[in-house]
Amino acid sequence: MIDVLGFLITLTTYIGIYLVLSLTLTLEVSSGITNFGKVAFYGLGAYTGALIGTYLPLAITGSRASPFDVNGIQLLYTISKSNPVLDLSVFLLSLAAGFAVSALFGLLLTYPIHRVGSALVGFTLLSTGEVLRLFYLNTEPLGESKGFMGIPNPFAWLPQARGAEALYLIIVWCFVGLTYFIVSRIMNSPLGRILKGMRDDELVALYAGWPTPLIKSKVLALTSGLTGVAGVLWAYYFTSINPNMFTPSLTFNIWAMVILGGIDSIVGGVLGTVLLASVDYAARFVIPFIGTTLVTPDYLRWIIVGLVMLVVLLKKPEGLAPRRGGVSKL
Amino acid sequence: MITQDLISFFLFSLLYLTVTIPLVLAYRVTKVINFTVANYITYGAYTAVLLDYYMRSSFGHNSLLLTVLSSFAVTGLIAVLSNLAVFKPLAEMRVKGDVLMIASMGLWIVLKYVLYIVSDIASSAWRTNLVSYSQIHYDDISLLTVRAGLVGVQQSLVVFPLLALASMLILYLVLNATRVGRAVLAVADNSVLASLSGIAVGRVVSLTWFLTAGLTSLAGVMWTTYSGAITPEVGDSLILQVFTIAFIGGLSSLTRTAAGALLISGVENFGTDLLSTYLGLPTSIKPMLTFTVLLATLIVSPPLGVAGGVPYRFTRGARR
Repeated sequence: MIDVLGFLITLTTYIGIYLVLSLTLTLEVSSGITNFGKVAFYGLGAYTGALIGTYLPLAITGSRASPFDVNGIQLLYTISKSNPVLDLSVFLLSLAAGFAVSALFGLLLTYPIHRVGSALVGFTLLSTGEVLRLFYLNTEPLGESKGFMGIPNPFAWLPQARGAEALYLIIVWCFVGLTYFIVSRIMNSPLGRILKGMRDDELVALYAGWPTPLIKSKVLALTSGLTGVAGVLWAYYFTSINPNMFTPSLTFNIWAMVILGGIDSIVGGVLGTVLLASVDYAARFVIPFIGTTLVTPDYLRWIIVGLVMLVVLLKKPEGLAPRRGGVSKL
Repeated sequence: MITQDLISFFLFSLLYLTVTIPLVLAYRVTKVINFTVANYITYGAYTAVLLDYYMRSSFGHNSLLLTVLSSFAVTGLIAVLSNLAVFKPLAEMRVKGDVLMIASMGLWIVLKYVLYIVSDIASSAWRTNLVSYSQIHYDDISLLTVRAGLVGVQQSLVVFPLLALASMLILYLVLNATRVGRAVLAVADNSVLASLSGIAVGRVVSLTWFLTAGLTSLAGVMWTTYSGAITPEVGDSLILQVFTIAFIGGLSSLTRTAAGALLISGVENFGTDLLSTYLGLPTSIKPMLTFTVLLATLIVSPPLGVAGGVPYRFTRGARR
């Protein structure tokens, strides 16, 4: 018997987290920032959240256990079961810290990239993600290749597990709503038109008197911060993270979603995300039942992601739901 | 320790040169920031791997010359096909450089996982592990080293200079001594002017794709004599260094690119060693050093004019 409700809850949580990533990417693309390093900020948020979520409860309760061995993980579980106040406040603190750390990182990164063209920006952000991943992989206090395993669920103290899942889903979707509000307000405001002008011709925008690098740095800080929060949400949802989750492939997945729906169209981004994330999740769900085959299904999945990008760019560059007249409504 | 560093400095400088010089030339002609160079390296290495397994099991010998020719042909063809299928139609749609770059990203994923599938199928058909293949020894190189009296020298020490030199020589001769090479240079300088003076720009661009991708694949062949475990991630693991070097050269100057190759190779080999000896830092710091050089390049001498870029400073710009 397949648990339909459980499947739906997991699927919608999954889509929600991806929506935050694609909405912020839409804002970045529409302001001319080719962000190939979504995963850098996402991973940074996730690791910040995991760091606070595991070390802090152990430190507060005065335990000397390491969050990486069985005792530590067991202790974290017990704490989250018995102490709702601590559990929730650690979660809220992680959200704030995830935003702050990622936003600051995005702000700092604009200094080296503010003068160069979009290709160089894209490559620099891409390698930032890879360098960060290698950093997680080789740093002992971050769990090296195993990563963090005992991140406490913020609602673990609820008696029914289903209630905890549903509450978490509501939190994720509240955040999706907030992100949607911020992104659509910015893109449909006078600032959004400046951003669009900046994307189309940065030199013209600069000579029209707009401090384009400053605007860009603010946009990147905001979107990175939101991406960081998505990372925290992912870490607390999955309760374990490792460096292999944060490979550049994830960035391409989000790019494929945004391209499929229509670059710089909010509705398109949402549509593309829902489509591709559902297919992606269904594939993850189905693949283990297929067993070993000659061709690993995972490889086919990635080939499809790449082909979606290419085919849409070649055949329907405006995407499934293009942006109309600079104003887009859902 | 120092001799080991010197040797790897030497080898990696040659490897980076073999990849970056064609990359810069390709950018100047095609105007695509092409991430599929990672695939070219990997496909070069894997043509060598598949050929090596086939030759060893059928004839018991393997030849570097044959490997180089087939890697060149396979990779060159892939590049020409990807130009015809993706980049040429996009260029005809007059899209921005960003879109070409995003398309090259899509192509990168597709080609990468196609190779994974090919090596999986070959592995199960031949009942061997091709996804992590051991170092390859070439019989003609062994023969050459014995003839030259260099018994016991690692093959990489011979193959790296040989192929790097051959690559530079081919590039130099094609560009400077042939008519079509002059046409390539003309398109690189100004494609509109070139087409007005009667050069078939489309054909020259196709030829450039073939030539540069083929030359890049030599780096993959070089890698097969150096690495102990050849995997389909070879190209991806080199992409940070390769593009950092290309950006040091501003994606235009070949001399600055060559200097960049030496710099990155030096920083990686001597820098990592010095830091781990004197400061006790782990050797995993290597990619971070390269990344630092990348950021420093972007701050100190940003390659302006490459796919956009504005002459602007935070301190002296317009403020509202």
